[in-house]
Amino acid sequence: MNNQWIHTNTFHYEAFKNLDRLARVKEKRGLRISLCLPTLNEEKTIAKEIVIFKSELMTRFPLIDEIVVIDSGSADDTCRIARKFGADVYLASEILPCLESFSGKGENLWKALYITTGDIIVYLDADIKNIHHRFAYGLIGPLLLDEQIKYVKGFYDRPITTWDNKIRPTGGGRVTELVLRPLFSLFFPELTQIIQPLSGEYAGYRTIFEKIPFPIGYGIETSMILDIYQKWGLEVIAQVDLERRVHRNQSTKALGKMAFAILKTFIKRKVDLGLIELKDSLHDQMIQYSISGNDITPDILRIEDAERPPMIDIPEYRKKFGIVLDPNPRSAPLKSVSKQ
Amino acid sequence: MLDQISNLEAYEDAIRSILDIVIANIVLIGQIPAPTFQEQERAKLLLERMSECRVDECTTDGYNNPIGIVRGRSRDKPPIFIVTRLDTPFSKEVDHNFTIDSNTITGAGLLDNSLAVGVLASLPFIIHRLGLNFESDIVLASVIQSIGKGNLRGVRHLLKTWSTPIRGAVCMESGEIGRLNYASNGMIRCDIRCISNAGIQRSGLHTPNAILVLNEVINRILGLRLPLRPRAEINVGTISGGLKHGQIASTAVLGLEIRSDSDLLVGGLYADIRDIVQGVGQENHVVLQTKTISNVRAARLKHNHPLVKHAASILNQLDIAPMRGPSESEVSIFLSNNIPAIALGLTRGQGYQQTAACVQIEPLFKGIAQIIGVLEAIDSGVCDE
Repeated sequence: MNNQWIHTNTFHYEAFKNLDRLARVKEKRGLRISLCLPTLNEEKTIAKEIVIFKSELMTRFPLIDEIVVIDSGSADDTCRIARKFGADVYLASEILPCLESFSGKGENLWKALYITTGDIIVYLDADIKNIHHRFAYGLIGPLLLDEQIKYVKGFYDRPITTWDNKIRPTGGGRVTELVLRPLFSLFFPELTQIIQPLSGEYAGYRTIFEKIPFPIGYGIETSMILDIYQKWGLEVIAQVDLERRVHRNQSTKALGKMAFAILKTFIKRKVDLGLIELKDSLHDQMIQYSISGNDITPDILRIEDAERPPMIDIPEYRKKFGIVLDPNPRSAPLKSVSKQ
Repeated sequence: MLDQISNLEAYEDAIRSILDIVIANIVLIGQIPAPTFQEQERAKLLLERMSECRVDECTTDGYNNPIGIVRGRSRDKPPIFIVTRLDTPFSKEVDHNFTIDSNTITGAGLLDNSLAVGVLASLPFIIHRLGLNFESDIVLASVIQSIGKGNLRGVRHLLKTWSTPIRGAVCMESGEIGRLNYASNGMIRCDIRCISNAGIQRSGLHTPNAILVLNEVINRILGLRLPLRPRAEINVGTISGGLKHGQIASTAVLGLEIRSDSDLLVGGLYADIRDIVQGVGQENHVVLQTKTISNVRAARLKHNHPLVKHAASILNQLDIAPMRGPSESEVSIFLSNNIPAIALGLTRGQGYQQTAACVQIEPLFKGIAQIIGVLEAIDSGVCDE
């Protein structure tokens, strides 16, 4: 097991604080960077995110080229506010309308690949109360400055132990610590070095994202890590300490649903890799119970496990980005060209 | 001067085009708590942002007031000051995360006075964007220890130690747009603290109720005769005390303010109140103490001072009705040092001194345009007479 990764590929956002330097490297390498915010009813936080990224990473330092909001059909004012503050706003259901439509965060992230034009795509949750531009430049930094790194994951709060042997109070969230970390420990111990595998803040090269499938729901973060790890190895992944993140706290019930989707994604990947064999198919309903007085009522939710194929398999995408399929799929990775 | 005023609309539009810079500064700086005496972290960020943004010199004075200087063309003209206070009335435990709606920003401290600090940090960028080049140096100062027990210490120290003459000053307040303050009343703020169980021997007497003792103090203050001229006012602003419904209150504190355009009268009334406190304390066998929290001397510019006249014209040009009145904030210290100064508000808002303060974004563009207009007026010499 490569247990050095946590030392070599873990960074602190402050290492990338020199935005002028990052902007110069980006320009020199001729790269475009897109920021994507998937939303569903985020009217309370979306404006602040857009304003800060636009001010700090577009107006003051030309690091980001576009801010794109992909909305799942918010019932509140999210889209109007996002437009007002200068983001390009798209309804997920209106992107690639020729395909069957799904609803979920993974769906939005996948469709963002079609809409955005960047060589690097930064995905950030839109519900961060204490948003700061470090959430973006901290993720972009390693991608620009270390050519080996292709995918960067954010983590916050405090890791359990750090490279300087300081003990910090917490690791990931509840689902990470109770579901995913035990699974990683059992099957992929190397991946336990990723402090917060479920964080919603990550960035990577289009050439990576376009070649992996995207589950439409909560399983997206898990599948992304597993797929990138399997295809390119741990060395292309880095993680960045983004320090404190304040967001909405979720109920245990909501986290249960998230855990369900993550477990399903994980098991599916294990089966696909031939590492385990299932004698029967998995159920697709999460069953929880509500107790009120003497009444116990089941709360059943069907959680779809649909998965989008790698975007590069979509002809419309290849046409838009001028990608020509390599006749020999075993040769070097496909080359994509950003549309300016 | 008329030419300068005619540019205001264009300024407003140009400032609107960099809305993201202004709001980002308001949010990033305002979200750092800065209770009085604990402003260091906010001061550090303000300096950092000014230094990244076309400010020629960034420093702190001997009292740790953060200061940025945009150098002017002339070495002979004295500097012009733009000032805001840095501290807010909220502790670090209060949630300082702001929310932004389509036309409002909401959060603790925005009106007191975080929005103005964000605008101060944006001014170098705005000045550059508007292509302005002043004769005087522009000194951007955000003074610490201003409110409450801070007693305007930061601005007092800044002026005491500033070695050159000052051409004029504009003090920025988050709200309300339209305010035009060019006078300050003489003012004393004090706390009167009553402790009724402080080891005083009482033979057979029950412990006096501290709240009722303060009630007696209030009654006697209300009996003071206040002249119509010079005008004077005693405001009982805060009261707190006691522990629970069924227990006699053993401690209580009363906060009050004496204000007048005559320093002599303020001093006289304060002496009367101290006499009342001493008398009531002795009569009730309690510890009753008066403590001065802050004080300001009366000072003013004439209503027809060129700075006041030009500021009023600029407001009118922007369709903002000037609201004239006194202010006991930083402007009072400039005025009492005989430096021409005015205080102006930047936008409209609700919830002063409350954690859910809400400010409007749209009026801010006019608010900043008026500051630039006044800055140009001072630079053209309206304070030089």
